Amino acid sequence: MSEFSIVGQRIPKIDAKEKVLGQTMYAADLNFPGMYYGKIVRCLKYAHAKVTKLDLSEAAKVPGVVKVFGPKDVTQKTYNAGVMDLMVSEPAGQMAGDIEDQTIFTDHVKHQGDAICGILAKTEEAAERGAEKVIVEYEPLPVYLTAKESMKSDAVQFTPLKPGNKAFELPAEMFPNNIYGWGDAEAEMKNADLVVEDTFYVPKQKQCQMEPHAYVALYDRQGRLNCWTSTQMPKCVHPKLAKLFDLPMSRVKINQSPVGGGFGCKLGMINEPQACAMAMAVPGHHVKTQQLREEDWIASESRHPGLYWMKIGLKKDGTPVAIQARFEAYTGGYYTQASGVPFTTGAWLSGMYKFGACNYKGEAYFTNQVPCGAYRGYGNPQTNFPLEQLIDRACNQLSIDPVEWRMKWHKNVGDDGWCIGFKYPSCALDECLTRGAEAIGWKEKRAKYAGQKGKKRRGVGVSLMNHCSGAMPMLLEHTTVTVKVNEDATAEVICNCSDLGTGAHTALKQIAAETLGFPMDDVHMLVGNSDAAGFDIGAHASRTLYVGGLAVKAACEKVTKQFFERAATALESNVEDLEMKDKKIFVKGSPAKAIDVKTITSLGVYNFVNPATGKTVGTPGQIQGYESFFPPHNSPPFSAVFVEVEVDTETGEVKILEFVNAYDIGRAINPSNVEGQLEGGAQHGLGNVLTEETYYDKNGLCLNSSFTDYKMLGPSDLPPMKIILVEQPDPIGPYGAKSCGEEGIINPIGATANAIYNALGIQFLEAPITPEKILKALKEKGLSY
Amino acid sequence: MKTRSITIYVNGEAYSLNVAVNRTLLQVLREDLGMPDTKYGCGTGECGACTVLIDGKKSILACLSLAATMDGAKITTVAGLEQEGKLHPVQEAFVNEGAIQCGYCTPGMVMKSVSILAKNPHPTEEEIRRELEGNICRCTGYVKIVQAIQKAGDAMASTC
Repeated sequence: MSEFSIVGQRIPKIDAKEKVLGQTMYAADLNFPGMYYGKIVRCLKYAHAKVTKLDLSEAAKVPGVVKVFGPKDVTQKTYNAGVMDLMVSEPAGQMAGDIEDQTIFTDHVKHQGDAICGILAKTEEAAERGAEKVIVEYEPLPVYLTAKESMKSDAVQFTPLKPGNKAFELPAEMFPNNIYGWGDAEAEMKNADLVVEDTFYVPKQKQCQMEPHAYVALYDRQGRLNCWTSTQMPKCVHPKLAKLFDLPMSRVKINQSPVGGGFGCKLGMINEPQACAMAMAVPGHHVKTQQLREEDWIASESRHPGLYWMKIGLKKDGTPVAIQARFEAYTGGYYTQASGVPFTTGAWLSGMYKFGACNYKGEAYFTNQVPCGAYRGYGNPQTNFPLEQLIDRACNQLSIDPVEWRMKWHKNVGDDGWCIGFKYPSCALDECLTRGAEAIGWKEKRAKYAGQKGKKRRGVGVSLMNHCSGAMPMLLEHTTVTVKVNEDATAEVICNCSDLGTGAHTALKQIAAETLGFPMDDVHMLVGNSDAAGFDIGAHASRTLYVGGLAVKAACEKVTKQFFERAATALESNVEDLEMKDKKIFVKGSPAKAIDVKTITSLGVYNFVNPATGKTVGTPGQIQGYESFFPPHNSPPFSAVFVEVEVDTETGEVKILEFVNAYDIGRAINPSNVEGQLEGGAQHGLGNVLTEETYYDKNGLCLNSSFTDYKMLGPSDLPPMKIILVEQPDPIGPYGAKSCGEEGIINPIGATANAIYNALGIQFLEAPITPEKILKALKEKGLSY
Repeated sequence: MKTRSITIYVNGEAYSLNVAVNRTLLQVLREDLGMPDTKYGCGTGECGACTVLIDGKKSILACLSLAATMDGAKITTVAGLEQEGKLHPVQEAFVNEGAIQCGYCTPGMVMKSVSILAKNPHPTEEEIRRELEGNICRCTGYVKIVQAIQKAGDAMASTC
């Protein structure tokens, strides 16, 4: 019997019916009278070049073309498409070395796909024809595809602001010796009985959300810049666009269109600057710009790839003595989130196991590829691949069971989390490990496969992860919510929290309804409107349910407080003697002494003055609850993932036989949504470790910008998935809940790599572990089965 | 550009158009007929987001279909599945099983699911997964989509 009536229920998502009827209007579906089409023309020929000639005169003559825009025809202001400038203080940003190096159109192409000009036309076809008539000449520059290449002293500088093309390293002012962690790991390593180390490569993975990037902008005749965008962060895009176009925020309106998948690639701005720049030139006309799917891989942000060196030292009995690590990220052509991921990669590393000393260094270098940004997991997928494999290598050499080692040495309640100094308030990993191991049949299978023979080899692997529910204190965490109560005791919850398909709006509505004591149908979520609601960071760092949920809960409690106070007055009682059920407030033990909430709310609005007596009835005032919420913590969730694979040693193919994610959710506000996040995340994670990578030729031109060649796992590749929701309520999260948005992607990576290790006895240092790499390794090691 | 006069039937209604011969069915639906329920996901036949039905059961990709060759075709899009305010059993199952996250693949996925069940009312899980290979979902990991199709199949079988 649940203690809650709405929280914890598998309620169908509030937008599901609209979506299944095809009635959801994504940005590309919007049409307005007099709408124009903006084509962003991109350099497809070179990954690094100076534009020596740009002649738009022929393009301008094409019938239907309205305006043409070169770099100098729009604002020259630089910006950073990411939102670090809004999430850390200015001093912190300066210490980190955050810069704004992007322009709307460029004459220094830094990656294939960089935008060089814009064509505005009355039809999409005219815009395309205009784009074909753009005359452009380039001076090609040397192409750098790795940090090793771009850091050379004679390399062309991407920006004078970053000598040596080093975009970022952990600043010494915040982290002595540019190290994140604790202790002196190099010194402590000498006390280890066993040291294992290697350098790994983690791939440039692409979010591949199903909704291609599309934007609509309008500079209306009231002088307001309106933008329809499926950004994950409407209230960050709001001030950024205002700043870019020198407008007060009151003259900029962001309409968040339904987000057809984000996974980080819509964090901050993508093509809003270009769409808005073109719209500003034609007041009164909407301007739509749509990106082709094949442009997605070269014109929107990806995961940070790079080299990740790691060294761990253990005692004979498995005690983790020290860990040293260094991630060298290839950050792409622009700065964007160069300071974010190279830091968090180390944060998640530090948060997992009880190493005696932990020293992490993180750096980012410019390369001539599409810039890296945010992608679900934000450094954690990168860390999971080397860390979990080195642990298994050490366990193998010390003859310690990998599950037992993790059970003994994972961090726990009271230990420092990923942000050193912030202790874990909850951790259900012991139960996750126990239940997950049982579900996959860990002991039996490890024993069974130890002596296996034949050309098909099976293995089971395990991996743990820790993440966050919101990013405080490193980043700003702030959500505002207004709960507006109608006179008939129904409510609107007004906020700018984002739902990327995650079900966040549904879960927030469940929290609101539960807290208010209202049925779901009596609550409406008003979202995605920068005029109506105040600040919210947006969807990232798995924060919406936790921070948004706490904010919604707090605003609703302000409302119910008013219900109770007014009821106490009406019933001539005390608040503490009252209780509420089915929208009626009554004296405990005397149910006849009651007042309908609807009466309270109605009298608040319709507070008539009796002209004869001059008296009023009931407490006046329409009830609202406003909360400007800063969370006190980031309650990290944990999980244990188990994977069973079968490797065909003749073809190199890896088949995933079984998948288990035992997840420390705290409380599942909507279990169906949580499962959906973990199941969907697994598809990304398994793709990261087995098949997904954006490939380039030696000139930096992308080789696989299509769904055929960028291989994601499909329905026949994925195993049945067992999701175990371990509910040990967190003391802080809303109704005990922790996050689950990003986490599903993380430890399927380490678990699969470890399963392959268990199957073949070989570890792979490069992800994705493709059949080609497996066959090559088998051949090189002279192994036959 | 040459044009051709065609009459196509979309969700039961006849539309007579004069289309350029290079115009795809996807463009005709979304732009000429103002029906945005069928989605552009890639435009190159690789993702299935634009899946619609011919004669209520055969699934085709609108982005690869030349409208000029479709004179007389009877096309169903996701907006045409609802009957007098009642969701199609596949739609009902998608909603109830949690098979919809961002929703962008949903129109094509639903249409493909309808065609799977039209061809084979009792597919195995393996058959479902194989048939869905042409429809990409990046949100769900396909788990609840497969469950929804199984549930819809059961529901449809029990009512006939």
